[in-house]
Amino acid sequence: MKRLQLQRWSSSVLSPRARTGGRLQQHLYYSLRRQSTASPALQVESEQLVDESSLNSSIPSSHIRQQPKYILPSPPVEAARESAKLAALHARLYLPSRLPLETLARALVDPSADSNSNFNNESLATLGHDLLTYYTSEHLLCTYPRLPLTVIFAAMYAYVGPKTLATMTREWGVEMAAVPGGEVDPGLLQFQRVAPGTDLDAEPVSNTTRPNDSRMSWRKSMTSRIVYDNEFGDPSKAPVEPSQQPTPGAQSTQGVTAEQASATFVRAVMGSIYLHAGRPAAKRFFEQHFLSRHLNISDLFNFSQPARDLSRLCARENFEPPVAKIISETGRKSRHPVFVVGIYSGQDKLGEGAGASLLEARSRAAVAALKGWYLYSPLNVRVPSSMEDEGAAAWKPVHVDLGEVIV
Amino acid sequence: MPVQGIKAVATARNGVGAFILQCKRLDFHYCDWAGSSRGMNAFLKHTLPSFAKANPQIEIRVSPRPHKHPVIKGHYINGREKAICVRNLEPEQISNKANLLKEASGEKLKRTKKPIASINESVRGIWSPYHGDNKTV
Repeated sequence: MKRLQLQRWSSSVLSPRARTGGRLQQHLYYSLRRQSTASPALQVESEQLVDESSLNSSIPSSHIRQQPKYILPSPPVEAARESAKLAALHARLYLPSRLPLETLARALVDPSADSNSNFNNESLATLGHDLLTYYTSEHLLCTYPRLPLTVIFAAMYAYVGPKTLATMTREWGVEMAAVPGGEVDPGLLQFQRVAPGTDLDAEPVSNTTRPNDSRMSWRKSMTSRIVYDNEFGDPSKAPVEPSQQPTPGAQSTQGVTAEQASATFVRAVMGSIYLHAGRPAAKRFFEQHFLSRHLNISDLFNFSQPARDLSRLCARENFEPPVAKIISETGRKSRHPVFVVGIYSGQDKLGEGAGASLLEARSRAAVAALKGWYLYSPLNVRVPSSMEDEGAAAWKPVHVDLGEVIV
Repeated sequence: MPVQGIKAVATARNGVGAFILQCKRLDFHYCDWAGSSRGMNAFLKHTLPSFAKANPQIEIRVSPRPHKHPVIKGHYINGREKAICVRNLEPEQISNKANLLKEASGEKLKRTKKPIASINESVRGIWSPYHGDNKTV
């Protein structure tokens, strides 16, 4: 029996937003769209439209609704109430009812799709990014006060880095629109895609907040990374002056990757929860969706010379110098020997490791000892933002450590 | 630099913090003419509104599929889909099938051999022959 293609003949029944129309209609849309991006006249018209509606700061009036939707760069505000996808996403994330569907729809529009800042998620994402990094960094610094900064950067990246946020978008079941536009379902993530074949690593990172960023060979010290770079230890883009910013409405030719767009979306959701439902709801959302993820921090360390670091650490902390001793061994002359080596400082065993050679076992033991030191976590940790709750107990200072070993 | 950080991605644990229902869309296909869709049509008329209200997380689509048996299709977050043919079924049976699709994770059915699956390390640790009461030959 021949299988019928459901999509093809059920199109007339589906909501008009679910599909962009028949083939003829689609062709018409595309040709119009091409004109709208190419000709300045149409563009100015759409710009005026958007400006008017933003000035009125209300749902666009009826004369705007008569305009064809494909002229708009992103779905109109009133389309949010009609989208089944958007309502399902709102319910799936258990978002507070005070957060309206219109804001969620706005969080799904990337600046690359709609450059008008009244309709895209840029401002929400900026707020959400600040909240996410603040909550994550205070959690990390209070829970693990002795972590080296490189590991803190890596842990920040693992919790709220763009890669994790893109994974979360996928796990939330958010689908992406092929091309952004006014006629697209507002429940889809809308962004301008990068042209296929573009080499993303081709152009060197320039225009950063770091001085002398063109000197690629200069050494980047840890201190300078703290001062100049972003919360993941990567170079951050310098803010563009308002006079040099592209005017709103101008079509941006450069697209963004799906990862960047997804990360912006998750940040915008966080920002919109904060704005509409307040701080406690935002914090709860952060704990439920971000802190509940599993991250083994002891996997983030990469030591180059653990034995040397350990001896420096013992010297700094006035411990007795570390001594490696064989605890047990087997098959020293065989093909696969095993040595178990412990590192002792006086009577105290700092760490233990097993390896196929004495050196390997010793460095594993030193790594275990260093991780035991760095991963110290005090009990009953409170974070500074918990003081913002109603009726919070008096603040007790948290453990502040001397810092990592400097070699 | 004494220690470097390794970039990683924190893994999700659905249900530890927030729970995301894995079924994101249900498609109901019916036929107006054929007798095998009688139960499905009654289900769509009487039960589906309350089902949709009880499960706002799921996007629901209803569309005809003329001269064919009625089908329910579930679309899942992992990208898979499950289809169940509900020909000649009563509305209550169809409601059970819809619930089954709603509660499914979208994964292929697997036989679980171990009672517990965990990403945490064992608290007790792995037995080592080199520790404790060593026997010498």
